[in-house]
Parts: sequence; C-alpha cells; structure tokens
Amino acid sequence: MKKKIVSMIATMALVATTFAGCGSGSASNADTAAADSSEDAATETASDGEEITLKLFSNLPDRKNGQGLVEQTIVDAYMAEHPNVTIEVETLDEEAYKTKFKAYSMDEMPDIVSIWGQPSFLDEVLDAGLLAELNTADYADYDFVEGSLDGFMKDGKLYGLPRNTDVAAFYYNQKIFEDNGWTVPETYDDLLALAKDMQAKGVTPLAMDGGDGWPLAVYLTDVLYKLTGSDYANIVTNALETGDFSDPAFTKAAQLLQDSAAAGLFQTGFDTQDYGTAQNLFTNGQAAMYYMGSWDASMALNQDIPEEVRTNIRMFTMPQIEGGATSATDITAWNGGGYAVAAGSENLDQAKDFLNYMYLPENLSKIGWENGVGMSAQDESDFMTGNETELQMQFVDAVGAATGLSGTTMNDRGTSAFKTAIETSIQNMSNGSMTVEDFLSNIASSIE
Amino acid sequence: MKKMYSNKAVIAVLVGPGLLLFAFAVLAPIILSIYYGFTNSTGMGSYDFVGMKNYKELIHDEAFFISIRNSALLALGFICIQHPIAMVTAYILDRLGGRAEHFFRCVFFIPNVISVAVIAYLWKFIYNPDFGLLNNIIKFFGGEGKVNWLGQDIAIWSVLIVLIWHGFGWGMLIYYTGIKNIDPTLYEAASIDGAGSVQTFFGITLPLMKPVIQVNVTMALISALKQMETVYLLTNGGPGNATQFTANYLYQQAFRAFKYGYGNAIGVVFIILCVVLTVITNKVFEDRDLKEEKKLNKISMRKEAI
Repeated sequence: MKKKIVSMIATMALVATTFAGCGSGSASNADTAAADSSEDAATETASDGEEITLKLFSNLPDRKNGQGLVEQTIVDAYMAEHPNVTIEVETLDEEAYKTKFKAYSMDEMPDIVSIWGQPSFLDEVLDAGLLAELNTADYADYDFVEGSLDGFMKDGKLYGLPRNTDVAAFYYNQKIFEDNGWTVPETYDDLLALAKDMQAKGVTPLAMDGGDGWPLAVYLTDVLYKLTGSDYANIVTNALETGDFSDPAFTKAAQLLQDSAAAGLFQTGFDTQDYGTAQNLFTNGQAAMYYMGSWDASMALNQDIPEEVRTNIRMFTMPQIEGGATSATDITAWNGGGYAVAAGSENLDQAKDFLNYMYLPENLSKIGWENGVGMSAQDESDFMTGNETELQMQFVDAVGAATGLSGTTMNDRGTSAFKTAIETSIQNMSNGSMTVEDFLSNIASSIE
Repeated sequence: MKKMYSNKAVIAVLVGPGLLLFAFAVLAPIILSIYYGFTNSTGMGSYDFVGMKNYKELIHDEAFFISIRNSALLALGFICIQHPIAMVTAYILDRLGGRAEHFFRCVFFIPNVISVAVIAYLWKFIYNPDFGLLNNIIKFFGGEGKVNWLGQDIAIWSVLIVLIWHGFGWGMLIYYTGIKNIDPTLYEAASIDGAGSVQTFFGITLPLMKPVIQVNVTMALISALKQMETVYLLTNGGPGNATQFTANYLYQQAFRAFKYGYGNAIGVVFIILCVVLTVITNKVFEDRDLKEEKKLNKISMRKEAI
C-alpha cells in the first residue's frame, strides 16, 4: 500500500515538474523573442533609443467618434513620430473607469491616465500620492484658459492638465421651435410657460438624464449660480466646510428644480432614464429640448442622428431667474476631465513627453475643435476653419461673451461621499418624494 | 484502498487543493473585509483604525435598511410567487410528455440563457414611459398610457417582476428534475386507485419533492440577498434608493463614494445575514424532517404494539 502512495506522490511530483518545465520554457522563449525584437528596433531606429511601452488608461471607450477619436488620432500620430514608443490604450466608460482606477492604484498604475480636476475625484488620488508633479513652466506657451489649471493643483503644485471647458446648456430643436412659434426663453418663468405650452401640444419639453443623478446636480448648480452669481463658489465651499446648508439660496434653487419637475418640464420617468435614453428622446425629435454639457455639441456632426434634427440643434444657457444676482452672460462652465501621469511610471520622462505632446495646441485643442467635441481648455481662436457648425459657434460665443463662469459644479466640489449622496437624493428631491429640507439635511449629513 | 483513504498524508493531498482554494478565495477575503471594516480606508493610500464607527453609522443608514427590506421583499417574492408557479409548471410539464414537454421546457428556460445586460435593457424599454411596450398596450386599450413604471413608488415592484420572471427558469428546471426522479410506479399506483391530478400533486409530488424544495428555497434566499447585476443595470438603485439592494449599495459605497472601509462593514453585516438565514432555513427543514421521522417511528411502534 505504501508503495502505491509513494508512486502516487512521485507521479504528482513528476507532473508538477513537467508543468513547471513548460512554464519556464515558454517564459524564456518569450524573453528571447522580446530581446530579438528590441534588437531589431534598435538597429532600425538607432537614434531613438530603446523600446518603450506606455500604457494609456482612458475613459473614452468610443474610439471612432468624438473625444475618443481625437485621443486615438493623437496616440497614432505620436507613435508614428516615435517608432520606438508603443502606446497601449485601455478604455472603460466613466463609472467602470473609476472603479478600475482604484484597483490600479494598489498596483501598476498605467503611465498616463484620465482624471477629473475636481475634489470629488482628485482629493483622494492626490492624498494617495498617485500622480506625478508636472512642471508649470512647461505650459507657459500652451494657451491654457485663465483659471483652468486651478482644479488640477494642490499646494501650488500642478498634477494634471484639463482637457475641456464644459458648459451647461439647453439644447433645443430649432425646427420644432419655429414650427410652433416658440422662442428661446429669457427668464425662468418663460421657460416654465414654454414647457406648459409644449405639453399642451403633446411635445415633451426637456429630455433630462435623471437616472445618472449628476446631470440633475449640474442643473441645480446652474440654477444656484444664476441666483448667487460670483458668491456661488464661496457659498458652496462654506457649506461643504461647515456642513451647514441653511443658506436660503440652496433652498430656493432646490425648490425651483422640484417645482420645474412637478410642472412637467422634464419627460415622464426622467428620474430613472439614462443618458442614452434621454439623448435619443431629443435626437428622435420627440423632445424639444435636452439638458447636457457642451461635449454633446458633436451631435451636430453625428451622422447617426437624422439630418432634420442634426442640422437644427441649437442651444441656449440657463435663462435669468427672478431675484438672481447674475446677468444673462454669466454661464455655468467648468474644467472637468483631463490627463495626468502616474507617479510610479517606469518611463516617467517619456510619459510626460507624451502628455506634453498631447497638449500641444495643434493636437488636443485643434483636432478636438475640428471634430466638434466642444470647447478645449486652451485658447482655440487660431483654429477656426469657417466650417464650424452653428451649434459650435454658439458655444464659442457664449464662452467668449461670458462675464462670469461658475467653475466646478456643486456635486464635484465635495468629497466623493458627498457626490454620491447628492446624486442619489437629488433624484428623490426632484421627483417630489423627498422634501427640499430633507434633501439639504441629507447631503449635509454626508459631510464628516 | 480503504487503508489509503485513512492515511493522513493522502487525505491532506486530496483535500489540500480544495481547502487552499477555499482559504484564499473565500476565507482570506472575508478576514480582510472584517479588517477593513474597522478602518476609514478609501481604497487608496493610507488609512486609520476607527473602531466601530462604520457599524454605528450603518445602524443609522436609511438606505441600508431600504436595501435589506428590498432583499427581503425579493426573497418573499421568490418563495411565495416564483416557486409555487415554477413547481406547478414543472408538474404540468412532466404530465404533458412528448414534443410539447420539450418545447415548453425550452421556452420557459429562455430568459435564463439571455445575458443579464440584455434582460435589463429589454425591460428598460418595456417600462419606458414614452415609447415602452407596457404603456403602448395600455394606450391600445384606451388608457392614457402615461404610467411611470420605474417611478418612485412602483419602481420596486417593477424590478421585482423582472427578477422573479428572470429567475423562474432555474427554479422550474430544478423542480422538473426533482419530479423526473420520482418513481413513476407511484403515479401508476395512484391512477389505479383513482386519484386525480390535484390529489396526485399534493399526495405524491409535493411530499417527495421536499429535499428539492429545501435546496431551491435556500438558493432563492441567497440569490435574493446577492441580487446585484440586474438592479445595477436596470435602475442602479434609483430613483434615490427606492430600488436599492444590499450588494449594489455595497458597491456604490465602496467604489463610487470611495468609502472602502464602510463598504466592507456593509459586506461583513451582509455575510452575517446570509449565514444566519441559511442556518435558519436549514433548521426549519431539519426540524420538520425530524418531526416526521418521529411520527413515523411512533406509528411503527404502535403497529408493533398492536
């Protein structure tokens, strides 16, 4: 019997060594293969030095349209200019991206990453020391819009660069407006009256992506900014520091949002419908308006949208609110998404080189502009081609004529716990199942 | 051979891989969860011990209790609605025989074959208030058709219907195999004695299915507690937290709110709940088994006495 056991163990050991042999064998094969290819490359591009692989982790999964296409174009161009550099791109959409970002933070952070220059994302990331410091002097000639780098700085040090200037906007279907004799509302009361009229005619007034929570929070910010004007940032920062949301402006803004929803400004079931559904409602011509950021200006170039709608998309910003402290040209705009280099990158210099290349004004800014993806965070006036869509020009004019910009939206000014809390309860508050008071105390309690 | 199995080294070699898998894939994460549950970790960088703070916060967390309530509702829905229907369907299928049996067996199982993502989007469109199937049906019959199926008050019921419908096939399949394992001679005997369908079901099928029912109920309870993917894709717990489920809430807190420590505390409570519920269900079924055994013993003893 004992013999059997011994032979069994011996067999297992044999099997184990066989597998081990396989493993090491294939590994060494791979090693030599890699060495071969690097030798080849070295002989071909002797001046460019060794083979380098950079990893780009991006939140733009669509590589054929909009911002994703712009990013891919730059990546391809960089690789063409630097034959020894290979850039591997990994993409996930926003929420999945943030989850995996966190997993990466424990181990092997990709070299270049998408980030958001907002406390709700960046605070934890910078506290963990994940991002490399950038040299501010490098970007003196990059024409960054005044103040756009602020969100990416901490203690006077720069850790990332902004990609876009985002503007909150009411997109509207000009054809539907003209056919019905409707005009762009100048005051908030006009907007609500317009919504009434639209409902009476069987048109859904405004398509709102309420299922995600954050567009509602942007809307709330928009209203709040119109009410408070240049005090907006102070009021929100104060509330976030003290956990006291008793400022009457908060109540008024939230109440206005709740009342608007109750008056039927948004589509039925806005509180659970996602981004795509809301956008489709508008692009199918079922809804007359659609509330979203300026990045969706690329709708005007999207061949998937029926031409009749595509060519008729125009926009206006939040109308004036009675008792508000702003003029019509004060708009809700902020610099959100951007890129950074990981502190732990093995090819830190090359990664920074790529980052700087991306941000050369003729790259991100120009290519982005040509693809109609909205406003970059850099001065774009040199890149006007004259072929811009009317929608694009409306955004340019709105930003150009702006007498005030809100900066980061309310939900992104606090911790990510605050962000989650406000984006969840705002659904309840706007559909009327939670009172404004409960909403404010709810978001206050998420602050430690 | 018997000797070999009693040899400790052999036992260790045979049990080892499974044990290691369990230790590293189940036990270690649970222990880590317990550890992180006592910290204020954000999932990145350094963190501090905060003692019971996460658990104290959890007691006052309304959303957490809503999610537990929803899980309980789902479990009830599974046990009281899905399973009785699944069992009766399985019984009818078995009686049907022939081609029809094969056909319907496939049809009923189809929802389980379709990916969860597709199911969620399918129902999203069915429920859509503007162009959804349900509202169009209502319009067809002359109604206004403006029901917001995923609105605040009825969202949870709409979600439950999807979950109950989606899980139906599995339950039915397990019951069906259970029924197939019942000795057909019993049915023959029953029909000779003149028992009808209903009588046969309650007299033969149901009692003999007890072990299958036990497995199914336990699985239903656990899957109700574990519910995540369909809800995540259908409503993501919204509006607000109206359709929040424990696993989804855990995910939200740990990975979206960056409250990794808090998320782990939820996880620990969640594990405890699962274990307690499993033990209770086992106890419930075990007691009945024991009682019945005793009953049978008594009867046979009486018979002997006579």
